Amino acid sequence: MRKYLSVFNISFQQEFAYRLNFIMWRVRNVIQVLLVFFLWDSIFSNPERVVFGYDRAKILTYVFGILIVRAFVLSARAVDVAGEVANGDLSNYLIKPIDYFKYWFTRDISSKALNLVFAIVETVLLFLVLKPPFFLQTNPLYLLGFVISIALAIFIYFVLLFITSAIPFWMPEVAWGAQFIVIMIITEFLSGALFPIDILPQAIQNVLYLLPFPYLIFFPLQVYLGKLGAMELLKGLSISLFWAVLLWFLMKSVWGKGLKIYRAFGR
Amino acid sequence: MSGVILLKMEKAIVVNRLVKNFEITEKKPGLSGAVSSIFRPKKKTVRALKGISFTIQPGELVGFIGPNGAGKTTTLKILSGLLYPTSGFTQVLEYNPWDRKHEFLKQISLVMGQKNQLWWDLPAIETFKLTQAIYEIPQKEYEKNLSELVELLQVSKLLNVQVRGLSLGQRMRLELIAALLYKPKVLFLDEPTIGLDLVGQQKVRDFIYEYNKKTGATILLTSHNMNDLVDLARRVIVIDEGNLIFDGALEELVHRFAKEKIIKVYLSSEEDVNKMRTIGKIRKITFPLVTLVVPRTTVAVAAAEILQNFPVTDLTIEEIPVEEVIRKVFKGK
Repeated sequence: MRKYLSVFNISFQQEFAYRLNFIMWRVRNVIQVLLVFFLWDSIFSNPERVVFGYDRAKILTYVFGILIVRAFVLSARAVDVAGEVANGDLSNYLIKPIDYFKYWFTRDISSKALNLVFAIVETVLLFLVLKPPFFLQTNPLYLLGFVISIALAIFIYFVLLFITSAIPFWMPEVAWGAQFIVIMIITEFLSGALFPIDILPQAIQNVLYLLPFPYLIFFPLQVYLGKLGAMELLKGLSISLFWAVLLWFLMKSVWGKGLKIYRAFGR
Repeated sequence: MSGVILLKMEKAIVVNRLVKNFEITEKKPGLSGAVSSIFRPKKKTVRALKGISFTIQPGELVGFIGPNGAGKTTTLKILSGLLYPTSGFTQVLEYNPWDRKHEFLKQISLVMGQKNQLWWDLPAIETFKLTQAIYEIPQKEYEKNLSELVELLQVSKLLNVQVRGLSLGQRMRLELIAALLYKPKVLFLDEPTIGLDLVGQQKVRDFIYEYNKKTGATILLTSHNMNDLVDLARRVIVIDEGNLIFDGALEELVHRFAKEKIIKVYLSSEEDVNKMRTIGKIRKITFPLVTLVVPRTTVAVAAAEILQNFPVTDLTIEEIPVEEVIRKVFKGK
């Protein structure tokens, strides 16, 4: 355990070594939130208006929720893994008595901890500036569900990244492309990071809910907003748990195969 | 305690009929080639190791020689568990490297001259602390090992400098510390002196020698730098195109492959040196020194003949330098 505590520690320091990078990444997040905020703010300019079951307070809470949940779920250091597989830096870890998966998970958590601190500060600041109506969830059952769904979301996203990071074992030149597909297309569109998924046609929704992606952002926020009944909550948690387990085994198998043909490039 | 284990363990490294093939995709040049390789990838099998066998005793320091692409680095990577062997048997400290058991990894170290494990943006001391945690080195032992290594490699002033600000030679010495902090019993060094200046090379060489002597660690080292091998390795293994072509003492390599010897003659007066051409090949004349190459079998006769017929002030018989011998070995195929 002490091993991973040390990894956490050095990873934290590393983030600070790239102060400017980090700040720019946060600025990007804030701008994104502002964009989405003003978009929805103008749609709901009439406070009486309810669209797709969202009123002004709930949609704006959703937008602010994205800021926090994003910081938790989508800020992952493990995006570097594909590059390490492609250029052979992976070797550095394979020859050490440390679990590569746990190593990166620790680095992720460390990065998330830092991001979270900033996200909270930003949220408070934006809150003071924009003064949006904000929905505070007080039901402990929903709050518990929120925490569990967030934990599952972090895990699913992490495992997804590791699966696509294994592609360079076979095709070392597509390291960046693989991550692009996962991060840009899947997580931005299908996770609910740009818009709440329940505004889509029902047929599409039905399919999406069977996939792991809505459980990254959309589902945890729905839980927080209290939009789900107990059955729906349980169903959602079960599906995301199912995906977490399935993807975990898939990742194990893909990495097992990948490591056998690993070339340990870089000399 | 470790002495007992060493006595019980017969071989530190066993390699038996080791084969490694790589599948590579060939690409034709240009854009159309790139596109066609996506749809109809042309696979080609590269046979990096074609069944090599050798064993190494605990405490031995063995040099691994071969031209680029001979399979040296591939062998080291298999022995440290990075690559999955196609077939054959490998055992290091009685473990199968591929299993990458933590108890095994704690006892070996692989240093690649062109790869760094130090955290680029932080001072080296941070990487060392992380290494301590990963290898679970007790605090006292860590402090002792660190101060020993720091003194041996003379880097006490560099520990708190951001790694990116260091020169290659300074970094290489710190890399060695990170690789040795946990006192590995088996050490794989891949081109440890590459890119270093002469002083830096010597420092690293001296250190490897000291480390081997002091700790009794088994060391397998590859290098293109013949000085590394002449200085360090009693025994060398030569591989070429995936085959083992020599395994034995360095001197024996010279005996086996160098069919000639060198005679250096100092003359007292400028005679007609051309007459020497009947005795051997004249390689260089820088009066008063004449350098001749003669067949190994007739070297004594040749020397006697020179002493009789020329005004000699000094005469020495030497082996052809290892570097030259090895160059010939690889050219001679």
